[in-house]
Amino acid sequence: MVLPLVLGLLVLVAVAAPVLDRFVGRAAGWLLAVIFLALGAVLAVEAPRIITHDEEIEYSAPWMPAIDVLFDFRLDGTGLLFVILVLGVGALIMGYSARYFSRGKHGDYYFLMALFAAAMFGLVVADDVVLLFVFWELTTVCSFFLIGRTGHSANQPAIRTLLLTVAGGLALLGAVITMIVHIGTSRLSVILADPAWQEDPAFATTTGVLVIIAAFTKSAQFPFHYWLPDAMAASTPVSAYLHAAAMVKAGIYLLMRFSPALADNITWNVLLIGVGLLTAIMAALFALQRHDLKELLAYSTVSQLGFLVAVIGIGTPGALAAAGVHTLAHALFKATLFMLVGVIDREVGSRDIRRLTGLRRVMPITAGLAALSALSMAGVPPLLGFISKEKLFASYLEAPGPAVVGPLVGAAAVVGAILTFAYSFRIVYGAFGGPTTQTRLREPSLVFLLPAAVSSIAGLVLGFFAGWLDPLIDRVVLDTRGTPGEIHLGLWHGVAPELYMSVVTIAVGVVLFLRREFIDRLLDRRLFPVTGVQVFERCHAAAITFGARVAGLTRTFSPARHLAVPFVVLAAFGAGALLTGVRVPPFPEPVTRPMDWLLMALVAGGTVGIVLTRSRLAGLALLGVIGFVIALFFFILGAPDVGLTQLLVEVLTVVVAVLVLRRLPKSFHSTGALRKSVAAGVALLAGGAAAVGTFAFTGRREISGAGEYFLREAKEETGGTNVVNTILVDFRALDTLGELTVLGLAGVVILAVLEVNGLMRGDSSPQAARYIGTPIGSPAGNMILARTVGRWLAPVLVVLSLYLLVRGHGEPGGGFIAALVGGAGFALAYLSASSAEAAPIRWPYVGLIASGVGVATLVGVLGFGDGGFLRPLHADIPLFGGGHYHFSTALVFDIGVYLAVIGVTVTALNRLGVEDVPPGTETGNRRSDPAGTVAAEPGEPGEPDSRYEATEPLPGSGGRR
Amino acid sequence: MSLALVVGVLVAGGTFLVLQRGMVRIAFGFVLLGHAANLVLLSAGGAARRGEPLLSIADLATAADPLPQAFVLTAIVIAFAITIYMLTLAGAGEGDDDTEDRR
Repeated sequence: MVLPLVLGLLVLVAVAAPVLDRFVGRAAGWLLAVIFLALGAVLAVEAPRIITHDEEIEYSAPWMPAIDVLFDFRLDGTGLLFVILVLGVGALIMGYSARYFSRGKHGDYYFLMALFAAAMFGLVVADDVVLLFVFWELTTVCSFFLIGRTGHSANQPAIRTLLLTVAGGLALLGAVITMIVHIGTSRLSVILADPAWQEDPAFATTTGVLVIIAAFTKSAQFPFHYWLPDAMAASTPVSAYLHAAAMVKAGIYLLMRFSPALADNITWNVLLIGVGLLTAIMAALFALQRHDLKELLAYSTVSQLGFLVAVIGIGTPGALAAAGVHTLAHALFKATLFMLVGVIDREVGSRDIRRLTGLRRVMPITAGLAALSALSMAGVPPLLGFISKEKLFASYLEAPGPAVVGPLVGAAAVVGAILTFAYSFRIVYGAFGGPTTQTRLREPSLVFLLPAAVSSIAGLVLGFFAGWLDPLIDRVVLDTRGTPGEIHLGLWHGVAPELYMSVVTIAVGVVLFLRREFIDRLLDRRLFPVTGVQVFERCHAAAITFGARVAGLTRTFSPARHLAVPFVVLAAFGAGALLTGVRVPPFPEPVTRPMDWLLMALVAGGTVGIVLTRSRLAGLALLGVIGFVIALFFFILGAPDVGLTQLLVEVLTVVVAVLVLRRLPKSFHSTGALRKSVAAGVALLAGGAAAVGTFAFTGRREISGAGEYFLREAKEETGGTNVVNTILVDFRALDTLGELTVLGLAGVVILAVLEVNGLMRGDSSPQAARYIGTPIGSPAGNMILARTVGRWLAPVLVVLSLYLLVRGHGEPGGGFIAALVGGAGFALAYLSASSAEAAPIRWPYVGLIASGVGVATLVGVLGFGDGGFLRPLHADIPLFGGGHYHFSTALVFDIGVYLAVIGVTVTALNRLGVEDVPPGTETGNRRSDPAGTVAAEPGEPGEPDSRYEATEPLPGSGGRR
Repeated sequence: MSLALVVGVLVAGGTFLVLQRGMVRIAFGFVLLGHAANLVLLSAGGAARRGEPLLSIADLATAADPLPQAFVLTAIVIAFAITIYMLTLAGAGEGDDDTEDRR
């Protein structure tokens, strides 16, 4: 229970961080540091159990039971080592941040850092590979935002980092799926213990390579190393935490985790040792070239990660112990160095060692702490870095394979270590050595230095008392190799090969340092023809060009060309079916009634008319006719709800279409004969295929099993007798919810389209001028009849719509139909209004849509109370005088439907019905007639003539018109 | 047979209209195609059984299949949303609803 508790608290801290920041400002960092330490203390209580009794803390809760994915958490020694990094270094960095940043708001920073800590914690305690993957990606996302928040110049590095690490995440996903499919469980500890890793080399190698790709991208190994220096665009605390101590160690964690399964795999050994040492040496050389201290440290991190990767590849118990110790040592000295570089940057205003000089005289404490950490990095006794480097050396000599491999690997490692020594001294000498020029600088406040001092001095203390780490490292070896390590850490191990290696390293390193000017000249050139960033940018640009080229094949401005394709395919299917011949069963009963033919004739007539007419208005009228006939068809097919819906939709469609048509030319575009005949040909073929297909493939069986079930069970299950409505709001409410969302989006999209483009001018035809001074030219007089009827009819429609809503469960009605009746009421109010100002319904229609979808979703969530999303809850409410009313939350769901449909309808009416507003017109500003056509007829007394006054500004009206 | 012919007529008319230039005609074409699709769905439920699926009055032996009806009801409302969206596009042009005008 303690694991999900800590994780949950970390998430909670992340959410609360912006609030803390608001109240205490940057000092929120101290609070977060204290919380991190407290959480660490909670875990420390359990730690002895893990370390000395070889137990694990485990927790399991269901997450996706259908595919057996669980919230499985497990904390063992390896996990504990990384938890120490996450919470320990995390606390130091948080405390450091409280002084590093200037006063002001940093809520987003603390939020992301705490969220990252939560993700990293989750990653190292996850015992389910799916969970592991989720946390892995979450760290990537946090890193992206933390780099990107620095400013404009950080955008490109942030995107490059994201794309690369996400690509690595995909490799991990591949590995996760391969393991789940092959081994049959997603539980990490079970997967790692499976014999398949030894018995099936193909599986082991494939998965191993995928894991390696994931780890290499995260831990910046060649050829992915370049992202880490690139990511230095982030602020220094972020670099110290994510890109030195914690996130880049996620790759190391992953490799250590999979070590028990893959340490005997030759591909694993070769890749890790080869690439690891290559990266270690290459990045160390790069570090010697750099002048920016932060960039130098970034390459140094890449190099150190290379040492770690290589030693994990060796795979012996001693090697894994070395990996554990060095991970800890590296986190300590590298976090310190980053923090101190940040201090120098803040105090001096530069990180360039060509400009920094002699700071030891003015900032002695900073200099001392930096020197201590740099010595640890260089592997000089008596620091922890010396002990871990000796362990590394000893392990490299145990490299698997022929006898010659060990010494070769060891020699390469010594070369890397010599370079490390050289750049460690370069850092210290570059910043603190030489003559002091800036004598007016001061040591920063001790509070600012405190976090760096803690980690720096910890490296010294642990050097003397390295034995304290023995049990933990022993446990790490047990986790990763299955055997106890028998590890004894200490400064003196007698005269052993690694001692000679250390002596050589330090001796040659000192020579390199003394000849530093020569080395600088030697390395002052490009070592490779291209940089990683250039390669990445070239690949990135090529991918985008390729995508544009593929998409270009189908790019055309004519919708007809896109739309023709499916119909031609439909016709081709029909032709194919006719050629091969299809056997179909006979109809169980006759399916045609005499009445059908009448409706068929009406539809055919209407369709011929709408195809032939050139007049838009006639087309709309014919569309309405066809719609009404279809509604009749639904009625005689035994679908009263559908028929009602169709009828109402048809009415509203015509109303909306009229609002649009009045702005368009009177007739349709003319088209050439060729186009007409091609369209007609495609249309006839598609129509023929559709008719034949419908005849051959539908209605040739008894009622479906599902339909029979609904008819039989609807009343029992839901209490409703209108089976169609029960399907909509009970049985298949999720479909309806999805539909509502589509509907709501359509409403929002209508708003968006009109906000971007505005609405075109109305069709101010010259004929209108003829009616000036007559009742037809006066909107107020013109509408008397409709207004009078509407005044009486509107309340009736509202009541009717509410009645239809409530009764929908038993009789024809329900949310859709009720809302459409209500919408028809609004349409009436709209059309009968005398002026544009009187017309609009001043309702927050976006709010209506949102509340509709929201209510429906909330009801769905209530359903969890009875076992599942959208499951309706029932209650019988007793009525006065006996009897009861059967209440179901399905009704509330239907109210959601009602609200959303009303919202979309009102949106369309209001936005399309709005009068023309010229660009830049302020709300309510009276303006003159734009075209001088329809003269403003003075309204009736008491009714201001506001025909041309905008009722509300078109948001896009100032833009493109 | 009758339903199949209606579907054929509607698909032919709808196809012709969506292959035209003006956005309004394309929208009208989509409306006709929507009618056709809805009739296909109902036809799939079986046009032989035409009783209303209202349990208060229904004879279960002849009641129509309610599932396709629920589909169609949903489909009509979505088609309505799409139609008014397309009409909005038609109305939001620069004085015309021509889709192939490359000024």
